[in-house]
Amino acid sequence: MNRQNFFGHLALALTLIVLAGVAGQVRRWQKAKRAAAQVSRELKQRVIVFDGEREIKGRAEVLVRFREGVSLDRIREIAAQHNDRFEDEYENIDTGLVALEDEDGLSAEQVAREYESLAGVVEYAEPNFMVYQDHTAPGKHKHTNDEMFARQWSLLNIGQNGGTPAADIRALNAWVKTTGSSDLIVAVLDSGVEYTHPDLAGNIWHRPANLPQYVDDELGAFNDESGFNAIDRLRDPMDDNGHGTHCAGIIGAEGNNRIGIAGINWSVQIMPLKFLDANGSGSTKDAIEAINYVIDRKRKGVNVRIISASWGSTQNSRALRDAIKKAGDEGILFVAAAGNSSEDADKRPHYPAGYKLDNVVSVAALDSNDKLAGFSNFGAKSVHIAAPGKNILSTWLKGEFREASGTSMATPEVAGVAALVLSVNPKMSVKELRQRLLDSVDPIDSLKGKVLTGGRINAAKAVGAQ
Amino acid sequence: MKLELKELVGMSESREEIVKRARADLAQRLGVSVDEIEEEQVEEADFPDMALGAPVKGEMSGQMITSGWRIRLKAGARGGYEYRASGSQLRLYNYKGTNWLVNRES
Repeated sequence: MNRQNFFGHLALALTLIVLAGVAGQVRRWQKAKRAAAQVSRELKQRVIVFDGEREIKGRAEVLVRFREGVSLDRIREIAAQHNDRFEDEYENIDTGLVALEDEDGLSAEQVAREYESLAGVVEYAEPNFMVYQDHTAPGKHKHTNDEMFARQWSLLNIGQNGGTPAADIRALNAWVKTTGSSDLIVAVLDSGVEYTHPDLAGNIWHRPANLPQYVDDELGAFNDESGFNAIDRLRDPMDDNGHGTHCAGIIGAEGNNRIGIAGINWSVQIMPLKFLDANGSGSTKDAIEAINYVIDRKRKGVNVRIISASWGSTQNSRALRDAIKKAGDEGILFVAAAGNSSEDADKRPHYPAGYKLDNVVSVAALDSNDKLAGFSNFGAKSVHIAAPGKNILSTWLKGEFREASGTSMATPEVAGVAALVLSVNPKMSVKELRQRLLDSVDPIDSLKGKVLTGGRINAAKAVGAQ
Repeated sequence: MKLELKELVGMSESREEIVKRARADLAQRLGVSVDEIEEEQVEEADFPDMALGAPVKGEMSGQMITSGWRIRLKAGARGGYEYRASGSQLRLYNYKGTNWLVNRES
């Protein structure tokens, strides 16, 4: 081999080696890319199951990126110390990126915080976020980070607990357009509200400094700094039952604050009105007294546009009817529970839902499969609309959260959507608002002939988001 | 997350205490000795509203399904007396066509 041939072969060999190296690297890159895509697919499949709420289908799961140099054995050891199960390392994406599963009953957020606190060995930790399949939230949608959101099937039904996907009020689609307005006030006429609840406190109405204390000509001055108490004028409307707090949370628990649940309105002002006692019962007189208060405040410039009334009886009261009518004249929508007697309200009316007034909306309850709840009253003429009302998670006393069922729970779903509508149409009249709600339903087969509109409320349609 | 019964009843009164109250109330209404009032059945129940499906006249109540106890009592051959209890409430259901909140007449 002459000198020229030698260098020619050497150059060729070096070229082949480099090409082989490049090809190998390309194969490794392709393999890594395929692996990453596979991991991504697996994550998307799994996060439907593990969404940070272990109660749904599995335990809480987190993704943790350990710092360089922390061995796999050490990672397993740390996980064991925290009662977490080492699931997998995504070595093709990043050494030290692992999935861990909680085994001691914590939420994904809590577990992530635990690992975030180990700054010496952990770069970051995050809950395994829910990824919504397209069919569960079609079109544009806006998510919330509230810790228990995955259990709020009425806002996003992905089939949790045996429900039917999309049998919900389409809240995520509505939120693209509006998440509520703190200029708007919704009165919750009930057992009061735990106005100090951490998921409600920021959305509670308080009497503005420039608005005088309420003084009734006959009864005297009321303690109305945070609402109204018709049972005891010297006390504020702190809830001693839980029912009113539950209804308030459905309408306006603070949204996207990483705490508890999301209200239909992330921002709104809830005006607590107490007339139901600690047992959840109250008198017609006290209900009228509270409505009288709302009208007074409205006339003095307080922008209360909706009263949510999750109560009633079969006893007709002309005085109560007159009070509600007057509220309508003042521009206030009155949303009321159709009742829980499994009866035809056209034949046996339930009041106040049964008053034939332009500002009254009567609400039936649905389960998570779009079926009329077994307990719910119905009425092709007198019950106007249906909304989720079974196993509804919301705020409760002592800063807690609890599921409850009833047309009581369906009523604030509609009141909440009405508030969303007003947040984008603040000048809308009561008549227009009521009609908008009734025109925005999703027709449901099981409601044909049972409810005037034959449908479930749709927040997205109501606010014009779809 | 169904309410625990002990939470609902508040445990201010045990099952025995509530049944005792119901027996005493019925004995007084019927004008007989408490010893003559017998327990037919005591069972957990879901009532349609916060008045336990037994509202008294003029009463408005929260329309939330409420768990509690259904207490059936009898006095000798006379049976069918139904009390309903939840929290601190005790109600006599459909007695002579009327609901009664115990300790408060309808």
